[in-house]
Amino acid sequence: MTRHMERQENIWQIGGKTLHSRMFIGSALYPSPAIMEESIKASGSQVVTVSLRRQGVNKDTGERFWKIIRELGVEVLPNTAGCHSAKEAITIAQMAREVFGTSWIKLEVIGDQYNLQPDPYETVEAAKVLVKEGFEVFPYTTDDLVVAKKLVDAGCNILMPWGSPIGSGKGLMNPYNLKAIREAFPELPLIIDAGIGKPSHAIEAMELGYDGVLLNSAVALAQDPVAMAKAFALSVEAGRLGYEAGAMQEREFASPSTPTVGTPFWHQSK
Amino acid sequence: MDIAIVGAGLAGRVVALNLLKSGDHTITFFEKDSKEGVTAAGFTAAGMLAPYAELETAESIIFELGHRSIELWPDLLKEIGLFDGYQQKGTVITAHPQDMGELEHFIGMLQRKVDAAGNIELFDKKKITELEPDLYTHQKGFYIPSEGVVDTQRFMAFSVNYFDRQGNVRFREFTPVEKIEAGEVHTKEGIETFDWVFDTRGLGAKEHFNDLRGVRGEVLWVEANDIDITRPTRLMHPRYKLYIVPRGNGCEGIDLEYCADCKLSQTSGYKRYIIGATEIESEDMSPISVRSSMELLSALYTVHPNFGEARVVNSETNCRPAFKDNLPRIEKSEKLTRINGLYRHGYLLAPAIVEKALQEGIYNT
Repeated sequence: MTRHMERQENIWQIGGKTLHSRMFIGSALYPSPAIMEESIKASGSQVVTVSLRRQGVNKDTGERFWKIIRELGVEVLPNTAGCHSAKEAITIAQMAREVFGTSWIKLEVIGDQYNLQPDPYETVEAAKVLVKEGFEVFPYTTDDLVVAKKLVDAGCNILMPWGSPIGSGKGLMNPYNLKAIREAFPELPLIIDAGIGKPSHAIEAMELGYDGVLLNSAVALAQDPVAMAKAFALSVEAGRLGYEAGAMQEREFASPSTPTVGTPFWHQSK
Repeated sequence: MDIAIVGAGLAGRVVALNLLKSGDHTITFFEKDSKEGVTAAGFTAAGMLAPYAELETAESIIFELGHRSIELWPDLLKEIGLFDGYQQKGTVITAHPQDMGELEHFIGMLQRKVDAAGNIELFDKKKITELEPDLYTHQKGFYIPSEGVVDTQRFMAFSVNYFDRQGNVRFREFTPVEKIEAGEVHTKEGIETFDWVFDTRGLGAKEHFNDLRGVRGEVLWVEANDIDITRPTRLMHPRYKLYIVPRGNGCEGIDLEYCADCKLSQTSGYKRYIIGATEIESEDMSPISVRSSMELLSALYTVHPNFGEARVVNSETNCRPAFKDNLPRIEKSEKLTRINGLYRHGYLLAPAIVEKALQEGIYNT
């Protein structure tokens, strides 16, 4: 069996579940639920995030919409998007557990209303409580290594650093920091969450050795969301395969380190 | 024919107006609330007729139906005696300088979907302010001359008055309908039979359509005395999208009890603007949230600083009935036509979709 063949059967674990897709996808901003459904299918994603914060006071107000997601047979990852404090996020997490019957929670506590940068202090506080309450916490965080460490200290088994701010589509702003997090936690499942705008960004994230990517706007706001979902599925696959295959070394040819073959030594520049 | 229309919202009214023109019918409206229709999504709606602009998220069929509706609206409104409830002098789409990417995305979406979008002209500041002097803070925008707007609140009011003037239309108000079958309307009191039944209940038809859902929308009515924007204007923004729809005539000709606060426009030269609208996957009908209000109002304030002194005279919340594909649906069977799923395109679609439904015939039982 070739190495490539082995990879076809490659599976991985996160939060107690076994998956084969490394792409997580969001459920907001699509032109219609039907296009959302098709996009999710085309992406091959097995994990779909859903937001509860704005759905309203009663549990059943978003029922018909959620039903569409449930019927896709995917893992639902509820998120606390729109929360600004640990307390608020904890309440939403508890509500989500009840509505969706899952202990998975994407912890998102916003510190800046405009660029939606996460608040590290409140996120760590909320993580401590939620871990104790038995949640599998997927914390959305920046690319700050120290915050990442605090979240792991708080009991998180997973980290989701951003590439760049939510919905910005700017890709990986700081690959160096992301690499540092990867190297600091070689065994932890790491997902790049937010900022992915195009397939090349996803490849870059996967080539850094991240275990997966989570994205939403990049697909939902594409001119053809379904085709873009497929493009991301391929790029996540390509990036992972590239990482596993091991890239060749980069080389500097700007100034030769040795004489160039075929050129007399008295013609070589210094 | 003896016809029942279940649901006296926008779609039901447009059905009735068509039937009254086309033949000798008696019409009975069944309505769960009052006939004034203030709880109908068609009352909350701002009434923009924007087949191009809606293409950003809609499919090209909406574009085609929308253009047909634009042709049909003027006659429908004349019929009910609403002579100043329609405007077709274009809409403006603009964005703040740092959000120009949103405008590019918007036009890219349109051009991908219909060829005609290639003719939409990008206006610079000079051209924008020639159209709308008060939009002077904007450097660039699109102007779509063929788009328009219906005065929705007055349509609802004037159509009731019109039906009341006809001898052959009656209203069964506060009468929830539990089920509709071929020629049958089931209420608490029993089953009533008709030659034909139209099901235009919107979200009320969830018992029949298992894939019908509500999409919450919130709007605010503001009134200002020192801003003059005359065309529906959209502000594209990465987070807080906004439309501003001028309602030059306020509540003229309408007497709504709960509207006591919004009489400014009648008394002191204030002009009304409807601003909206949020879009939330929820069937929660409770009043507008603080967050939604802040998003709408802060976006509004950036359009013109004088909006800071505008008065918020009313807020409305409703849920748009939508199917999974967000496209409208006509379902015809024996003695029964169902029209639903007009989503956020109620006024843009109603005349065209009703025309289509009636062309399919109601007489071949």
